[in-house]
Amino acid sequence: MKIKNLLIYSIISSFFLLSLISIWKILVTLQGLKLENFNTTIIFILGFLFSFFNVFISERLNFIFKFLFFALIFVYVDGFLISKLPIWYNIGIVFILYFFASKTKKYNSNFLNNEHSTQLILFDFLTLFGIVLFSFVILFPFYMMLVTSFKTQIALLVNPLDFSIDFNQDLKELFKSYFVIFTSYNFGKYILTSTIVSLGTVFITLIFAIPAAYAIARLNFFGKTFMSTSILIIYMFPAIVLVIPLYTVFSQLGLRNSISGLLIVYTATTLPVAIYMLQGYFKSIPKELEEAAILDKLSWFGIIIKIILPLSIPAISSVALYVFMIAWNEFLFSLMFLDNPNSFTLSRAIQYLSGDAETPRQYLMAGSVIVTLPVLFIFVYFEKYLVSGLTAGSVKG
Amino acid sequence: MANIKFSNVGKSFGDNKVINNFNFQGKDDEFLVLVGPSGCGKSTLLRMIAGLEQIDQGEIQINNEVINEMHPSKRHTAMVFQSYALYPHMNVYDNMSFGLKIEKKTKEEIHSKVLSAAKTLKIEDLLERRPKELSGGQRQRVAIGRAITRNPKIFLFDEPLSNLDAALRAEMRVEISRLHQKIKTNIIYVTHDQVEAMTLADRIVILNNGNIEQVGTPNEIYTNPDNIFVAQFIGTPKMNIFKINSENIVSNNKINILGSSIPFSGINLDKKNYYIGIRPEHLTLNENQEFNFTPKIELIENLGNEKIVYMVSEHNQLCAKISSDIQINNTFGFNLKNILLFDENGLRIRS
Repeated sequence: MKIKNLLIYSIISSFFLLSLISIWKILVTLQGLKLENFNTTIIFILGFLFSFFNVFISERLNFIFKFLFFALIFVYVDGFLISKLPIWYNIGIVFILYFFASKTKKYNSNFLNNEHSTQLILFDFLTLFGIVLFSFVILFPFYMMLVTSFKTQIALLVNPLDFSIDFNQDLKELFKSYFVIFTSYNFGKYILTSTIVSLGTVFITLIFAIPAAYAIARLNFFGKTFMSTSILIIYMFPAIVLVIPLYTVFSQLGLRNSISGLLIVYTATTLPVAIYMLQGYFKSIPKELEEAAILDKLSWFGIIIKIILPLSIPAISSVALYVFMIAWNEFLFSLMFLDNPNSFTLSRAIQYLSGDAETPRQYLMAGSVIVTLPVLFIFVYFEKYLVSGLTAGSVKG
Repeated sequence: MANIKFSNVGKSFGDNKVINNFNFQGKDDEFLVLVGPSGCGKSTLLRMIAGLEQIDQGEIQINNEVINEMHPSKRHTAMVFQSYALYPHMNVYDNMSFGLKIEKKTKEEIHSKVLSAAKTLKIEDLLERRPKELSGGQRQRVAIGRAITRNPKIFLFDEPLSNLDAALRAEMRVEISRLHQKIKTNIIYVTHDQVEAMTLADRIVILNNGNIEQVGTPNEIYTNPDNIFVAQFIGTPKMNIFKINSENIVSNNKINILGSSIPFSGINLDKKNYYIGIRPEHLTLNENQEFNFTPKIELIENLGNEKIVYMVSEHNQLCAKISSDIQINNTFGFNLKNILLFDENGLRIRS
């Protein structure tokens, strides 16, 4: 057993435990609990002792018993003895300790004897720490958005820093902001516009991108290398540079405040990346498959429809998802080109509402939740297509 | 029943001439193997027949019909790819029937054709599976089955066994041989493996740098090679070749080699450089040989049923293949009839 490894492991793991519990404590303060202090010293010492003895008793004691024993001590010392906190807080602590104990289970004396174990421990905990910290940082604004949308105007004015949700009021009251934005702020229409624009962009982009990407990946034509390398040039220009010339052009053509105008701009901005992503995937499809298809009397068009498309479902769905998200979340062009509330998209509508000082904050947040949800659901649904590799088995390997 | 004819066929990729003035006349129903080292143009030749590569010059005829400009699917050929090239998103049945469906054949016709092909290859149980659920040998069988359903006049095999392991390769080799006996159709088979060439072929075409080195039955090629390239390409271990300088030429039909003076009949030797070739299996330990020599043995590889002996004699590296139950002493012998003589350009001098 290496003393250095043991000490480093104990210190790192107790810091990790400290950060987990601190996050939990921050969250419970938001829920209205008043903590006198964070008890950092006690948590640190307890975590250190647990990590330390865990190494020696790990083989001799069942994991469940060990964890329960530790959790009881911890809850007793921290929860009851010092702070006298409610039961749900301590249940949360028990879950955190379970997570912590299961993560530290593999660090027994054999593991610590290993020469490289310090590095392994360091990387393990850095990864865990990163995941926990950044998901907290990223998820917290979403949480705020959600909580605010469930509040009343009065509650927001009385205590703006209260982040708890009052589940005691009836459902109609809870979802009031959502009813209001649909009834008096016309959000149904904005959702419809956004959906039409986003799906339309996906559709048009794919129609152009698939043949273009196939041509770049497979066919030989004059200027092919120039084409394929210059595809991404449009991304060298910031959108703000393009938007003013486009504004004048669109004004003269009468495309402002129209869905078709937005479709043109969105397709133009997403097409390069779509082509770039697809051609990379098309190149990875074995050429022999297409040659076999040629021998089976398939035309070029038939090859794309019957061979390339079915095999590229993962790539095409990820491109579709990407394009949909860009079009759904796009703000700058819709801000510039749309000034008539009848043709607003969702993000433009929220900006319009927030510009109006009289619009209550909870309505804005409810609108934001509505903007976020579809993208979230679509992502969860499409995720299985993104990972499956359909080409497996066609060719040796 | 089909015969294939190449007249002055040429192909180049950029400045690189892969095939140059290729002339060849095939026979009906023969199993033709194109063999050669990698980069010799054998696969290109096959792809030109299939229609996957443009024919730059000359013409290829199948049954006296020029196929140069014909669409690949109308050439009555079917190709089996090295990587199988099965459609991964279709099951075996769909893979095999895909071409027929595109030709708009009736359902019953497709069904009977696929089933009979599956029966020939013993893959009836696999028809519902996807390619990724098949082993390498099964995939290869499906690929062959797909070719059979096309009912071609000529089968084209592009190194079909090179992705399989050694045991499976031997097994599939026998099956392809059987298949040819059963379906009696022309097969053009490309390989770089001389064992496949020797065992499968009715006739072998040995290619090097896009030129034909020799055409013949496996036996002709083995016993009577036209040049050093063919002599060394066929047979393992390689044929022993040694250079004869002009001082080793005793008279116009006698050569000094390995300590003996060997008389050749019916040839006239100049004072030039020559090459002598003798196969490892023709160097024996039997005392009753016409000529004997005592080499220095460097290494013996025991392969179980036989031993490969590496040795040096008069600065010439030699290797002999002998049966492993024979005790190795220091004297090796050989016979005059097994010696092949080549001129300084590597061409055979026949006596």
